Amino acid sequence: MVEVELRGVWKRFGDFVAVKNVNLRFPDGKFSSILGPSGSGKTTLLYLIAGIYKPSRGEILFDGEDVSRLPPNKRNVGLVFQNYALYPHMTVFENIAFPLTIKGLPRGEIEERVHSVARMLHIDELLDRYPHQLSGGQQQRVALARALVKEPAVLLLDEPLSNLDALVRLEIRGELKRLQRRLGITTIYVTHDQSEALAMADLIAVIHRGEIQQVGSPEDVYRRPRNLFVAGFIGMPPANLVKAAVTRTPTPCVVIAGGGEYCPGEPLASKLEALGLEAVVAAFRPEDVVLGEHPMEDYVSMEAEVYVVETLGRENLVTLRLPDGQAVKAITSPLLNPRPGDKMYVNVEPSKILLYDPDTELNIEAIEAAPAARPVSLAGSPERRRAAQEED
Amino acid sequence: MPRPRLPPPALFLSLAAFLVLVFYMVPLILTLWASLTPVRNWDIAQLRQFVGAENYRRLFHLIRFDPDVSTVVKTTIVFVAGTLTVNVLGGLLLALAAFIIEERASLGFRLLWFLPRMTPVAVFGLLWYYFFYPQGTLNAILLKLHLISHPVNWGQDVLPWGPWSIIIFVNGLVGVSYGMIIFYSAFKAIPKDIYRAALVDGARLRDLVFRIMLPLTRWHLIFVTVWQLLSLLTTYAHLFVLVEWGVVEKWHGMTWALYVFETAFGSAVNDQALASAAATLLVVVGIGLGLLTLRLMGFERELGAIRGEL
Amino acid sequence: MQGEGLLAGLLGSLKPRRRRRQPTEELPLASRAVSYTVIAALLAASLPIILSYTLLVELSFSASFIATPFEKTSFTLENWRLFFQGRLAPTAAQIYTPSYIRRMILDTLIVALGVMGVVVASATPAAYAFSRMNFRGRGALMRFLILLHAFPGVALIIGVYAIYVYTYRRLALGLHAGEAALLAYAFLYVIVARASLEIPMSTWLMKGFFDRIPWEVEWAALVDGASRLRVFTRIMLPLVKPGLAALSIFSFMAGWEELIYVVVFLPSKAPTLASYIHSQLSGGAIETAYLPVVAAAAVVYLIPTILFFVFTQSLLVEAAEGAGVKA
Ligand SMILES: Nc1ncnc2c1ncn2[C@@H]1O[C@H](COP(=O)(O)OP(=O)(O)OP(=O)(O)O)[C@@H](O)[C@H]1O
Ligand SMILES: [Mg+2]
Repeated sequence: MVEVELRGVWKRFGDFVAVKNVNLRFPDGKFSSILGPSGSGKTTLLYLIAGIYKPSRGEILFDGEDVSRLPPNKRNVGLVFQNYALYPHMTVFENIAFPLTIKGLPRGEIEERVHSVARMLHIDELLDRYPHQLSGGQQQRVALARALVKEPAVLLLDEPLSNLDALVRLEIRGELKRLQRRLGITTIYVTHDQSEALAMADLIAVIHRGEIQQVGSPEDVYRRPRNLFVAGFIGMPPANLVKAAVTRTPTPCVVIAGGGEYCPGEPLASKLEALGLEAVVAAFRPEDVVLGEHPMEDYVSMEAEVYVVETLGRENLVTLRLPDGQAVKAITSPLLNPRPGDKMYVNVEPSKILLYDPDTELNIEAIEAAPAARPVSLAGSPERRRAAQEED
Repeated sequence: MPRPRLPPPALFLSLAAFLVLVFYMVPLILTLWASLTPVRNWDIAQLRQFVGAENYRRLFHLIRFDPDVSTVVKTTIVFVAGTLTVNVLGGLLLALAAFIIEERASLGFRLLWFLPRMTPVAVFGLLWYYFFYPQGTLNAILLKLHLISHPVNWGQDVLPWGPWSIIIFVNGLVGVSYGMIIFYSAFKAIPKDIYRAALVDGARLRDLVFRIMLPLTRWHLIFVTVWQLLSLLTTYAHLFVLVEWGVVEKWHGMTWALYVFETAFGSAVNDQALASAAATLLVVVGIGLGLLTLRLMGFERELGAIRGEL
Repeated sequence: MQGEGLLAGLLGSLKPRRRRRQPTEELPLASRAVSYTVIAALLAASLPIILSYTLLVELSFSASFIATPFEKTSFTLENWRLFFQGRLAPTAAQIYTPSYIRRMILDTLIVALGVMGVVVASATPAAYAFSRMNFRGRGALMRFLILLHAFPGVALIIGVYAIYVYTYRRLALGLHAGEAALLAYAFLYVIVARASLEIPMSTWLMKGFFDRIPWEVEWAALVDGASRLRVFTRIMLPLVKPGLAALSIFSFMAGWEELIYVVVFLPSKAPTLASYIHSQLSGGAIETAYLPVVAAAAVVYLIPTILFFVFTQSLLVEAAEGAGVKA
C-alpha cells in the first residue's frame, strides 16, 4: 500500500486550465474522496494519478517516489471508470483475468484469484457472461473486481455508483466501504454526490474549477466549510448564505435583516476587528434553524415570511424571505406546517453561525490561521483566486 | 529513475510508410524525372540523360497538330463533363428514390446499383461488349423494334457520339453508386424529427426534397462533385478494356489518363518520356483538386482529437 | 466519410446488431402511388444492368450464342465442361489443359489474397496510430494520405514499372535468379505494388472503426498493465473485427478484380482470370474466341462478387428485421 501525494500539480488542455496547482496527500490505507460539481476536474485529477494524463507542471508521488513520467501500466493502480469500460469482447471471467494474463501468471493462479475476488463481490455466478448481458450494478462489480484482482497499490474510483439506481447505490456503498476497510488499499473515490463522500470517506477534498477548496474529514467539511463555495455546495440543501452588516458597539456584531444580531465571542471578535470588515456573509445550515412563532432566547432570531413549503416526507423544507428579500431555508418537523405568507422567526444557535469575508469568500476563522502553512492554502488564497478567475 | 518507452507511433506506421515511400513517392519522382529525359522502350539507362522541356514541347505540339491527340483532349472533356453529370445527378436521383421507397425494395435497388462497383473490370467490360457490339443485345433489341434495319457498330462507326455515349454510360454505371450511397446516408443522417416536423407543418414530398433534404446535404453534393471530378480525370481501367476490345473507336474512347497509359505501355508506341510529361499535367490537376477536396471534407473534424498522454 | 461512408450507406449501419426488436415506425414520406411509381421508374432504369448480368449467366449455360436474354436457346453444361477441361478456345488450335485453368484461378486467388494480406497488415496498425496516438505531423500525414488517394494512378504506374524493370534485370542478370524465383518476384511485386494503392483509403476506413472505440476501454487495458502493443492486439483488434472484415473484403476484391497491373507486370505464362478474358477479346483475338466459354470464365470470375452480395444481403435482412422494419 502506498501514500499518494500531489505536489503543485497543474493540468492544461490548450488554453484551458483543468487542474490548478493542486497539493494533496492521500494517506496510506485510507478512503479518500474527491468531491466536486460536474466539470470541476475530478476525472482529470484521477487520470493524472493513474497516468492517463501527464501533469503540465508539478509531480505525483507514490510513497515519495516520483511517478509523474510513468505510464499507467507501470503504476500498479486499479481504476474503475465512470462507465466501467469493460472489454465488450471478453466474458466476465476474461475481463477480470485480463490484468493477470498480462502479467503472465500461471493459469491455475489466475483461476484461483479470479474466483476468489468474484466470490468476494458476489459475481461468481456471472463469470461466463458477456458485459452486455449484465445489469449496471453487476457491471460495476465486474469493473471493481478487475481493478482489485491485481491487488493494486492504489484503487481509483470514478463516480462508480452514478449509473446505478438509488437502492443499489446505497447497498454497494456500504459494501465498498467494508471492503476497503478489510483490504486496506489506499482508495481515492471521485464523486459529485456529497452524501457518498460524507458517508464513506475518511478524508474529503472538495474541488471546484480545478482548484482544491478544502481538505478535511467529513465532519470538518460539513461543520466548518473553509469558504463560501464549500458552504454553498455541501449539505442537502446547502447552508444558507446571508449577507449581513458589521456594527461596532464597540465590540463587533453582525446584523442580519429581520432583527438578527450576533455578537461573536473571542477569538472571532478580534479577528473580525482586525480585518476591519464592513459586511460579512453569515452561513448556517437549514437543519440548524428552529422555526417558531417567537424569537428564542440565546438564539439569533430573524423575522421572516414563509414563501414555499415543500413536503419531503420525513421533514418539511420551508423557504422563507427576510425583510430585505434574501431567502433562507429551514428544515422542520412535518408537524409544523406553516402557510405561505405567515410571519415566523428563524432562530439559529450562535455557535452554528459561520462568518465569511465577502471578498475572499474565506471563513473568517480560517483567514488568520497562517494560510500559507496549510497544504491546500495555495489554491484558496485570495490573490491566487483572483488571478485564477481572471485567467478563466 | 527508469524511463520506460511505449512503442512509438513509428512502429505502427512503419509498414504503411515504407510501402507508400516505395510505391508512391519514389515512382512519382521517377515519373516526374522521366518527363525530362528521352526514355523510350523501357531503356531505363536513358533516365540518366536530361533533355529539359523537350517532351512538353512535343506534347503541346501533338495536342495542336495531331488530330488523334486533340481528339483525346476533346474526349476527355466530354467524358468528364458527361460522366460527372450522370454520377452526381444520377446518384442524387437514385438516393432520393431509394430514400422514398419502402426499406426492403430500397435495399434491393441499392445493392443492385452497387453491383457494377463490385464487378471485376474484365467482367464488366465483357457485359457491355455483349451489349454494344454489332451482333449484341442493343442491336438485337433495336432490330426487333424495327428502329434500325441493319446492325450498327455504335462504338466504331457512329462518331463521335457513339463511343462517347458508350464510355459515359459504362463509367456512369460504375460511378453513380458512389453518389447514391453518400447522398442516401446523408438523407438518413438528417434527424427523423425534422421530417416529422415538416410533415406536421403540411410539407409535401416536393417541399421535403427541395426545402429540407437538398439544402441540408449541400456539402455532400459539393464534395461528391469534386471527388468524382478527380476520380474521372484519373480513371482508365474500364476505358482501357473498351478500347482494347474494340467496343469503342480508339481515339474517341481514350481520355488523357488512358492516353498516358497507352503511350507508356501500348504496343504501338512505347514512349515513356512523352507519357511522363502527359502524366505530370495530370498530377498537377490532381493535386489541385485533391487540396480542394481536403478543404471541403471538414478535415479537422474527421481527424479527431487524441485524448490522454500515453 | 469515404470508405466508411460507402459502407454505412450501403448497409445502413455498421453498429453491432442487437437482436432486440425495437419498433420504429417508418416515415410516411410519400404516398403509396408515388412510392410504386418510383419503384417502377427505378426498375426501368435498372433494366440494362439486369439484362446484361442475366445474359452473361444465361450465355454460360447456352448451347449457342444469344444476343438477348429472351432468345430461345437450349440449356447445356457444355461451356462449363469445355472451360474446366481447359478447352478455352475450341475453334482455335490453341491447346490448354485443366491444370492451366487451375493455375489461372489460383493465380487470381494468390494476387487477391496477397493484396488483402498486405493491405490489412499495413493499414490496420497505421490506422490505429492515426486514431489513437499523438505525434508530430499527424494531421499533415493524414492530409497527405488523402492527397495520395486522389493521386492519378496512371502517373505512378510508369515509375512503378521503371523500378520493376530495374530490379527485375538486377535479379535476372546480376544475381542470375532462376525462372521460378523471377516468377515469384513478379507476383510479389504485383501484389505489393497493387496493395500500396489501397493503403491511403484503407487507413482512413480503419481509422473510422478505431475512432469509435471508447478511449476508456483502451485506458482500462493500460491501467490493467498492458503495453500499447498488447492493447492493440488484445483489445483493439478484437473490437474492430467488423472493420477488419470490411477491409479484408474490399481489399480482396481489389486484388481479385485487378486487370491493369496483372496484364502489365505478370508474364503471359502466369495468367489470371482477368488476363485470360482480356486475351480472348483484345486485338484480333475476338475472331477466334468462343464467347460462351468466355462467359463461363466470367461467371467464375464473378463468384466473389456474388458471395459478397449474398453475405451482405443476409447481414442486411437480419439488420432490417432486428430494427423491426416491416416487410
Ligand atoms: N481532453 C480535454 N481537453 C480539453 N478539455 C478537457 C479535457 N478533459 C477535460 N476537459 C475539461 O476539463 C474540465 C474538467 O473535466 P473533468 O472531466 O475532469 O470533470 P469532472 O469533474 O470529472 O466532471 P464530471 O462530474 O462531469 O465527470 C471540464 O471543463 C472539461 O471540459
Ligand atoms: Mg468525471
